Amino acid sequence: MQEEQKFIQQLLDSKTQNQAFERLIQMYQRPLYNQIRNIVLNHDDTDDVLQNTLVKVYQNLKNFKGDSKLFSWMYRIATNEALTFLKQKSKKSGISSEALQSKIIDNLEADVFFDGDEIQLKLQKAIVLLPAKQQLIFKMKYFEELKYDAMSEILGTSVGGLKASYHIAVKKIEAFLNTN
Amino acid sequence: MKTFKLENEPKIESGFITPDHYFKNFSLKMMDQIVTNETKVISIFQKRKYLFFSAAALLLFALMIPIVNNWSAKSTELDAVALENYITYQTNVNQYDLINALEEDDINSMNVSLAIEDKTIEEILSYNPNVENLITE
Repeated sequence: MQEEQKFIQQLLDSKTQNQAFERLIQMYQRPLYNQIRNIVLNHDDTDDVLQNTLVKVYQNLKNFKGDSKLFSWMYRIATNEALTFLKQKSKKSGISSEALQSKIIDNLEADVFFDGDEIQLKLQKAIVLLPAKQQLIFKMKYFEELKYDAMSEILGTSVGGLKASYHIAVKKIEAFLNTN
Repeated sequence: MKTFKLENEPKIESGFITPDHYFKNFSLKMMDQIVTNETKVISIFQKRKYLFFSAAALLLFALMIPIVNNWSAKSTELDAVALENYITYQTNVNQYDLINALEEDDINSMNVSLAIEDKTIEEILSYNPNVENLITE
């Protein structure tokens, strides 16, 4: 925690800011990319959203109060940015966010940046059928292996609620995989 | 048939991949973007905003000139016609009403124009058989 405070100070100090921010990007770009990619599904869109996320992080560092961990704060920004992006994109296409995600998953085999086999494709098809919040919880727990405490801080949901949602999501996915 | 259980199976990855060296290039690209953003950029539009607004206002003003001109010309013309018609066709207005309506300035200006025509008046008076009537009028 003290180390994080020191790192935050470096990020806020104009003399050490750029160097510290470069370190921050190197430390967190992969988990943030994965979180965004799991929501928007497409690489190019993920790249755009990740850039916006990091710009926002940089611009709002001075407002970071340290109530939560830096990682959780950035994760929350990334999640909100990705969900907003998805909403705007679906609005432009004239369909719902769910319909847009289903469309992307249906075309996943043609995506050059998807290298999944049959079971991976089936799993993606099963996930997209879940309600939005359950999708998010499942992806964060199953793919990203985040702890419930961290997820609770990011999503603002109780640990108990997250566990229940994850359990339901797993049951639905298993049912889909057993019947398809 | 064996029932599929997520926890009993090896972990299934998402299957999403990135272009080669994506993360290495991304951090460089991101730092460039941050440094560029730090330098305050004044947008061309901002800089020329006042110029654009002035030009737009001038254009609007220029476009209004013919409209205003037409409007004022029409209104003057209409007034003159109405006045002329009134005097011509209004039977209640006679010669004496017109004389009464004349201002001193009007009479003076008429005097000036009449002075130029003195000789003509003399000729008319000398050849007109109703001189007496004209004088009394």
